[in-house]
Amino acid sequence: MSEVALLGNPNTGKTSLFNMLTRSYETVGNWSGVTVEKKVGVLRGRGGRIVDLPGLYSLLPLTEDESVAARFLMEESPASLLNIVDASQLERNLYLTIQLLECGRPMLIGLNMVDVARSRNITVDAALLQQELGVPVVSIVARKGTGCADVLQALGSLAQSEKSSFRIDYGPVIESSVTRMSERLNQAAETSSSNLRWTALQLLEGNEAVRSFLSGSDVLSDLDDLIEETSQQLGLTGEKSDMPTYLRKIRTERITQICAVVLDRSAQRIHTATERIDTILTHRIIGIPLFLALMFLIFKLTFDWLGSLLSDQLDGLISGTLSGWISSALDGLGASAFTHALVVDGIVGGVGGVLVFLPQICILFMLISFIEDSGYMARITLLMDRTMEAVGLSGKAFIPFIIGFGCNVPAIMAARTMEQRKDRLLTTLLVPLMSCSARLPVYALFAGVFFASDQALVVMGLYLMGMVLALALAKLFSRTLMKSEPSLFVVELPPYRMPQLLSLLRMTWEKVKGFLRKAGTIILAGSVMIWFLSNTGPSGFGVNMNDSFLASIGGALSGILTPLGFGTWQAGAALITGFMAKEVVVSTMNIIYQVPDMAGLEHQVAMAFTPLQAFSFIAFILLYIPCLATVGVIRKETSSWRWTFFSMGYSLVLAYIVAILIYQGGRLIGLT
Amino acid sequence: MLLKHGSDLPLALGHMKPGDTVELHALHCASPLLRRRLRDLGVTEGSALKVLRLGLFGGPLTFECDGQHIGIRRDEANRMEVAPL
Ligand SMILES: Nc1nc2c(ncn2[C@@H]2O[C@H](COP(=O)(O)OP(=O)(O)OP(=O)(O)O)[C@@H](O)[C@H]2O)c(=O)[nH]1
Ligand SMILES: [Mg+2]
Repeated sequence: MSEVALLGNPNTGKTSLFNMLTRSYETVGNWSGVTVEKKVGVLRGRGGRIVDLPGLYSLLPLTEDESVAARFLMEESPASLLNIVDASQLERNLYLTIQLLECGRPMLIGLNMVDVARSRNITVDAALLQQELGVPVVSIVARKGTGCADVLQALGSLAQSEKSSFRIDYGPVIESSVTRMSERLNQAAETSSSNLRWTALQLLEGNEAVRSFLSGSDVLSDLDDLIEETSQQLGLTGEKSDMPTYLRKIRTERITQICAVVLDRSAQRIHTATERIDTILTHRIIGIPLFLALMFLIFKLTFDWLGSLLSDQLDGLISGTLSGWISSALDGLGASAFTHALVVDGIVGGVGGVLVFLPQICILFMLISFIEDSGYMARITLLMDRTMEAVGLSGKAFIPFIIGFGCNVPAIMAARTMEQRKDRLLTTLLVPLMSCSARLPVYALFAGVFFASDQALVVMGLYLMGMVLALALAKLFSRTLMKSEPSLFVVELPPYRMPQLLSLLRMTWEKVKGFLRKAGTIILAGSVMIWFLSNTGPSGFGVNMNDSFLASIGGALSGILTPLGFGTWQAGAALITGFMAKEVVVSTMNIIYQVPDMAGLEHQVAMAFTPLQAFSFIAFILLYIPCLATVGVIRKETSSWRWTFFSMGYSLVLAYIVAILIYQGGRLIGLT
Repeated sequence: MLLKHGSDLPLALGHMKPGDTVELHALHCASPLLRRRLRDLGVTEGSALKVLRLGLFGGPLTFECDGQHIGIRRDEANRMEVAPL
């Protein structure tokens, strides 16, 4: 089965092309490091698999996401390569291209962003580039889909095309060493699938992915001797730089020659629009206030202006119309009282009670997608880096933080793009403090009841509290738990781009689908379970809810929750079930208080909590534990149960301390 | 120690003002990871850099090189040797 691998520098439009070629809607964003995992798709029209990979600058990976791509090349040996090259940054992109060419697989080059290059008066001659490199080159604009048909066609005829004649002469010392290493490699069976010359060159350059592929076989020690010898010989020729630097120098010289032929930058212009926007958005004084204002705007839109309006409509639809239909349909079918109660109180109440918040979630996801695709993300890291540096983190940790406002799971995976292990680990541990969209229904419910007039402000306060606590803990953890590595910060600021409406809608839909899937699985299962537990007790089914199993489970916690202001079995039960997914807190409340609609629930909640208790409760919900899915991904990314349990443990302790401070402190100053 | 290193340099990128255009002279004092990243981005000895902005309170320095905008920390910039162009 033929498999095509998409490889190229970060932020060159690989995923945009992948989406076009396969009709998928993977996340596209205007910063480096959007894709962090391989994604497989089926080519439109002609079948065959294509794999989207994280971007990388060279085959020597520096970050985790880059090594996903480097390892893929080594371990899965794709049949052919599709190398995406940014026409507006040709020189730096060609470095990877050369390493890929040496790999000796059939290869097609997609010369992307030709529109950007044109607008900056940079011309790249695709035909000449094809001649220089010896592989087909197709000009495309992946964002618009221009040239995608040509790519599909070229991929079809790729297998038959002869191997590229491209070859760099690295000078007598390296060349003779490469020949000897190839001979040695040839005797070992493991390497037969990879090009020998390429393997030798990568070993000389110090490619860990290739080394670990060979490790265990006895060739490696022989090869190491050869590499050592070559190094010395290279030194004897009077070459001052070390081997990787030397190889890079030779390649860069070749790139300069190629660019002299194919590239015309004589009339090059700078991005004036980007410069102008940046003088405001990254202004040294108003930059951060503008960022905070933007966040406030997002919450205002999500909660006040748009979200709650739409949400009320939807509530009317679900709890009124839909519930009525289901009810009469069940009666018509002659369903028993048991089934009726299960469906209407358990499922419609539990799942519907969460689905009501779909509008808010859609709006939030849409706004986050907008920020992701605009180019502002990289600027946020720049604005926040000074603060992050003070707490021992890299400004880049802010990208996972912002993604975490949508969902913590992809956010933790996004931590892969940071260069240093300590930064990655700290970020992974702290992302759960970012208030994700699953916590949003809880806020919307409680803030709607108790803080109706300034909902957005209260909610923004919660988000900020999560962030401030994350920064404080970063400081604490980096001081106490981690080796003191200075964190690294270097960020590319891509030109701003106006996100396209269609792709925004698609990306939002893709994320909303995740929410709907969750509603149909975990939230549904949770609701059914809670309904059962709330209706069964030691004496059987149909007990009074206060004597139910749920009441005894929740009640077991009420003792330790009393100092926090919500020592009821209802709150305890909601917290336990909320570990599955935070939305289930709302489902639980819906079922426990047995209310037909939002207005009813709001009324019940207003009776059960005072404003101060409510605030303490939502603060606790924000912090108390990463949800089940997040725990899973923390385990996967840290590959350590210790850190996984640590992340659960510290958040419980933190939540308890914060809630007790809020409640007892509030009471001290006379709040209720 | 790092500071001392910085002050030994004749002219450091970190000491430039926004709008200054300089040629990058030496990268060897910058941290190895950063050096590699900058090379990946095409920033090497001999590249022409234009300083765009300086963050508040010693925040990151943004510069332009070959049409791309890059941000790095000020203390790293202090260890990058430059010459006026
Ligand atoms: N103007 C223009 N923009 C493009 C083109 N192709 C992609 N983009 C934009 O470039 C940005 C990056 O696109 P992605 O597809 O996410 O890039 P990627 O290579 O997958 O990035 P990583 O996953 O981070 O490596 C997005 O904002 C796209 O909308 C193009 O041909 N022209
Ligand atoms: Mg991508």
